[in-house]
Amino acid sequence: MHCCETGNALTMVAHMELSNLFTADFIYNLARGPLVWISILICIIGSIARTVQLLSYTRIKTIDPNIDFSSIRKKPPAAKGGGLPEPGLFAVLKGTILGVSPVTILVSLCFHICLIIIPFFLLAHNLLIDDAIGFSLFSFSERFSDFLTIIFLACAAFFLFRRIFLARMRAISTFYDYVVLFITVAPFLTGFLAYYQIFNYKIVIILHMLAGELMLVAIPFTKIFHMFFFFIGRFMIVNQHTMGKGSRTW
Amino acid sequence: MTEQKSAAVDTAEVKRMLDKHKAKMKMSLSLCAHCSLCAESCFLFNARNKDPKYMPSYKFINSIGKIYKKKGKVDKAMLEEISVNAWKRCVLCTRCYCPFGIDIPDMIALARSICRSQGVFPQYDE
Ligand code: HEM
Ligand code: SF4
Ligand code: SF4
Repeated sequence: MHCCETGNALTMVAHMELSNLFTADFIYNLARGPLVWISILICIIGSIARTVQLLSYTRIKTIDPNIDFSSIRKKPPAAKGGGLPEPGLFAVLKGTILGVSPVTILVSLCFHICLIIIPFFLLAHNLLIDDAIGFSLFSFSERFSDFLTIIFLACAAFFLFRRIFLARMRAISTFYDYVVLFITVAPFLTGFLAYYQIFNYKIVIILHMLAGELMLVAIPFTKIFHMFFFFIGRFMIVNQHTMGKGSRTW
Repeated sequence: MTEQKSAAVDTAEVKRMLDKHKAKMKMSLSLCAHCSLCAESCFLFNARNKDPKYMPSYKFINSIGKIYKKKGKVDKAMLEEISVNAWKRCVLCTRCYCPFGIDIPDMIALARSICRSQGVFPQYDE
């Protein structure tokens, strides 16, 4: 992943004979060198571009100064409990999606937390990052990362079964939903297999790197972009369920 | 009205209406996680024995989503089908909840406007 290794891989391309172009070694060097940087760049630039695009679709909310809101503003909107007697915490929870589908939401929370923290605090990643840029975040113990990965894979399996077996999921699922779930899970699955050296290590680690790079590239351009849309859609754009005041409208 | 109803669909007009609302519609359709968490927030879904056809996301995907996928090139039969999702299965009470804040009622309302512009709407006097 070192910059001179990136250079090496590139000179390698130049000096390779065409027949050798797709040997395992070549793909290995490509995947651990230039493709890493390219996919990170695509992910960052793509995400920024799509965020800017999304914001350009919305505009700052303007409020007509002649309207007197004082009588309306006294109470929160009905969706936030206005007009109802002061509910207890339990009653409030019962109305939220956490109360309605507790298992799915808890699984989803575990899924997303693991998804984000595993790659950043994985020892093997941080050794490589340290090598490449000279510093890295702290790392979890390998056993703990292992544990998180198993939890993550279990949550992903839950999502998969939910999509296959629940009528309401089938009603709206397309092939694309399975593809996105697969893109999300593949880096973790292959990373796990590589760590335990199950199957051919070299092939699995190549697949792992390619899967990770695919996921990075997919973030801005698939429904995974929801990780940014979530914050924009819920905190910035006003709607029935905006958290906070919301400053923009479509 | 019957005369209007038998006329062919003005696909250019449908396309124009789509384009006018393209940004919000495209974002909503492409970023819906297809997670079904909006299901229970719709009283009709609960009242119809949790029939998936009453799930808010099903209704917007199978109304405006369909028109968008066809890029406006829809025919009367398709609009009639869509009008079932846009009228009979949704009262636009705006109570559906999506974790991403997708404005489902607005999407369904847009499907209604497009249907109505082509003379497809429920008629209670037939
Ligand atoms: C912090 C940012 C994120 C937030 C707030 C977020 C939020 C959500 C929510 C609310 C759902 C729907 C509920 C569910 O089915 O669990 C969801 C589903 C999903 N998310 Fe995220 N997400 C984030 C980041 C990501 C990332 C980075 C990925 C992948 C790389 C991802 C992959 C998925 C997948 C695959 C699903 C669908 C699960 C299924 O098939 O049912 N999410 N996310
Ligand atoms: S509309 Fe929202 S809650 Fe419903 S399936 Fe789509 S993302 Fe999930
Ligand atoms: S607006 Fe339509 S989909 Fe949403 S809760 Fe009301 S009836 Fe259900």
